[in-house]
Amino acid sequence: MKPRDLLPLLLLLGALALTPLFASNLLLNFLVSALIIALGAQGWNLLGGYGGQLSFGHAALFGTGAYATAILQVKFGLNAWLAFACGIALAALAGWIIGYLSFRARLRGSYFALVTLAFAEVLRILANAADFTGGAAGLLIKLQPGLANFQFASRAGYLWAVLACILVVGLMTLWIDRGRFGAQLVAVRENEDAARALGVDVLATKLRAITLSGAITGAAGCLYAQNFLYLDASIAYGTWISVELLIAAIVGGLGTVLGPVIGALALHGLGEVTKGLLGWLTGIDLVLFGIILIAAVAFVPSGLVGALRRLRMRGAAR
Amino acid sequence: MTSPRLTLTRRAALRAGAMLPVLAAPRLLRAQPAAVKIGILQPLTGALAQDGDLGRLGATLAAEAINAAGGLKELGGARVELVVADARSNPEAAAQEVEKLQAEGVVAIVGGFASPICLAASQAAARYDLPYIVDVGVSDQITTRGLRNTFRFAPGFGTVTNTALANLVRLNTAGGRAAKTVVLVHEDGLFGSGLAKLMQTELPKLGFEVLETIAHPTPARDMSNVALRIRALNPDLVIPSSYYGEFVLLARTLRQQRIRPKGIYAVLNGAASNYRFVKEFPEAAEGVMDCNHWHDPRKEEAVALKKKVEADGRLWAYNVPLNYSCVKLVADAIENAGAADRGKVTEALAASNFRGHIMPYGPTKFINGQNQGAAPVNTQVQGGDIKVIFPESFADAKPIFPLQG
Repeated sequence: MKPRDLLPLLLLLGALALTPLFASNLLLNFLVSALIIALGAQGWNLLGGYGGQLSFGHAALFGTGAYATAILQVKFGLNAWLAFACGIALAALAGWIIGYLSFRARLRGSYFALVTLAFAEVLRILANAADFTGGAAGLLIKLQPGLANFQFASRAGYLWAVLACILVVGLMTLWIDRGRFGAQLVAVRENEDAARALGVDVLATKLRAITLSGAITGAAGCLYAQNFLYLDASIAYGTWISVELLIAAIVGGLGTVLGPVIGALALHGLGEVTKGLLGWLTGIDLVLFGIILIAAVAFVPSGLVGALRRLRMRGAAR
Repeated sequence: MTSPRLTLTRRAALRAGAMLPVLAAPRLLRAQPAAVKIGILQPLTGALAQDGDLGRLGATLAAEAINAAGGLKELGGARVELVVADARSNPEAAAQEVEKLQAEGVVAIVGGFASPICLAASQAAARYDLPYIVDVGVSDQITTRGLRNTFRFAPGFGTVTNTALANLVRLNTAGGRAAKTVVLVHEDGLFGSGLAKLMQTELPKLGFEVLETIAHPTPARDMSNVALRIRALNPDLVIPSSYYGEFVLLARTLRQQRIRPKGIYAVLNGAASNYRFVKEFPEAAEGVMDCNHWHDPRKEEAVALKKKVEADGRLWAYNVPLNYSCVKLVADAIENAGAADRGKVTEALAASNFRGHIMPYGPTKFINGQNQGAAPVNTQVQGGDIKVIFPESFADAKPIFPLQG
C-alpha cells in the first residue's frame, strides 16, 4: 500500500471531519445519517463489489448489530461501548451463519440474493413478534448524553465516531484491495470455477468476506441505534436498509474503496437538495430520487468513482 | 474568450440605494412583533399520508383561527406561523425532520400521528428541550418515559381500551347478550398487536370467547383469506384494529362475501369513524361501531369547524379536531408563558388549564405529560352518518346491536 493510495480517502474524510467548525446542526445531522449508510454500504461493497455476491438482505446484518447494541444496553444494562463491540461481533456471526448456510448449498447470483432477502424478512417478522426485542413497540435507548454512554450532546461527536469507523473500514478495504485476499475475492467474482482450479478455497474466501461484511454493516447498525435511540423491526430489518446499502455502493462504484462513501453522500445530498428546492410539492424528492437513480444506473454503470476516473484519464490523454 | 467582468457602477449603486426604503417599507408599515413558529410534524407521504394530511388541515385551521382573532395577545398580537414537516410515515424520517424544525427555530412541535413516529420524534425533540405535543399516538410508552418535553392531549391506549371494553359489555347486555364469540383482526404493528394482546387477556374475563386472532401487515393488498377464515369461524363479533386502507378492504370483502357478524366493534380504527369510508362504501360501513377520538358535538366551535371543513369539500375525521385543539393548546401555553421561550412554554403546558379546545375532555390537566381528562367516545355508522352512541350525556343516537343479518 503506497501513501499515494491513501490520499483520496484521507482527504475526503479529513474534509468531512472539519465540517462541524462551520456547518449547522441540520447539515451535520444529514451527514451523520448519510455516512451511517455509507459505512453499511462499505460492508455491502466488500461482499457484493469485490466478491460479486450480490446480497439483497444486508438488513439482516444491519439489524442484528442495531438490535444487539440496543438490547444489551436496555435489557442487560451493559455499557454502550461494550454493547457496540458485542453488536459488531454478533452481526459478524450472523453473516457467517447466513454465508455458511447459503454458500455451502452453492447458492449463487440471484438465488443468493433471494435467500439473503428471505433471511432479512424472517428476522424482521421474528423481531416484530418476540418480546425481548420490544415487539412491535420497538426499543428505546434511554437518552443520557455522555461519552461513557456513547451518546454525544452535539452532532459533531456522532459525525466523528462514524468517520472513524469509515476510516478504519476504508483502510481495511484498501489493504484487502491490494492484498492476496482481495485478489482471491476478485477471482471468485470473475469466475468461480477458474478460481477453484487455481487453488483458491472458494467457500472459505466467501465466508471470510461475508463475516467481515457482517461486522462492518453491523457496526453501521450499532451506530444507527446510538444515534436515533429508537428501533423497531421495520427500521432495523426493513427492506429499505438493504436497498439503500446496495444502491449507495452501486451508484458510487462497485468494488472501489471510496465508491460507497461517495455514493451515499451523493444520493442523500441529491434527495435533500430536491426536497429543499421543491419542498411545497410533498414527496417530489422521492420521485426525483427514483429518476436520477435510473439515469445513474443506465448511463454511469461503473458508478461515480468510475466516471471520475474516466474523466481523469480522458484529461490525461489530451 | 474573455468573460465579462462584474463591476459595480456608480449608477447601479445609486439605484440599489434608492430601492432600500422600498424594501424596508412593509416592515415599517406593519410594525408587528415577530411571528411565533410552531412545528407541524405529520406523515404527509407514505402509507399514512391521508392521516397526515388531515392532521395538517386541523393545525392550519387552528392557526388561521388564532391569527384571525388577533394573534397571540400577550405577545402584542404576534402571528402564529406553522412550519410543516413531512415524517414520511416512518420514525427515522420523523426524527430527522425534528432537526429541521429545530433549525427553523420553532417553539414547539405538534403531531406525529402514529405511535412509533411520536416515540422517536419526541425523543429527538427532548435533546433540545423542545416541547412536543402528541396529537394521536396512543402507545402508553409515550408518556411513561419521563420525558419532560412530551405532552399528550388525547387519551392513551389504556384509557381507550378500558372505555371500549366497558362500553362493549353495556352494549352486549342491552342487546340481550347476543355476542358470545369474538374474532380479533389486527395489523401487526405497534398499535394493532398491542390491542390484540390486551383483548386476548381481557375479553375472556368479561365472558367472551376469543375464537382466533388474525394478524395482517400494513399495507395489505388482499383480505380474502382473512374473510374466509372469519366465515369458517362464524363469530358473533369481529373486533378489528387496523389503519384505514386495510379495514376498508376487510369490510368490503366481508360485505362482498356476505359474511355478516352480529356486530363489528372497532377500537381506535383508522376507518370506522371516517367519513370517506362512509361515503365511498356506505353498505360496508353501515352499522360499524368504533371507540375512538371524536370532537365534542355540544361545542359550537366544533360544529362550525366541521361545517367549514365539509363546505370546503374536505374530509372530516378525528385528526382535524385533535390537531386543531393541540395547536390552540400550544398557543394558550405561549400566552400563559408570556414569551415564545421553550422552557417557559414547557412549564406553561405542564401547568395548563385550557378550556378552549373542541374535544369532549374538560379543562386540560397534565400529569407526567398525559392529559387526565382525555376520553374516547363510541360511534356507530347509522344511515350514512357517524353518530355518537356513548357516552350518553352527549350521544345523538341509540346503538343498533345486534345487527340484523
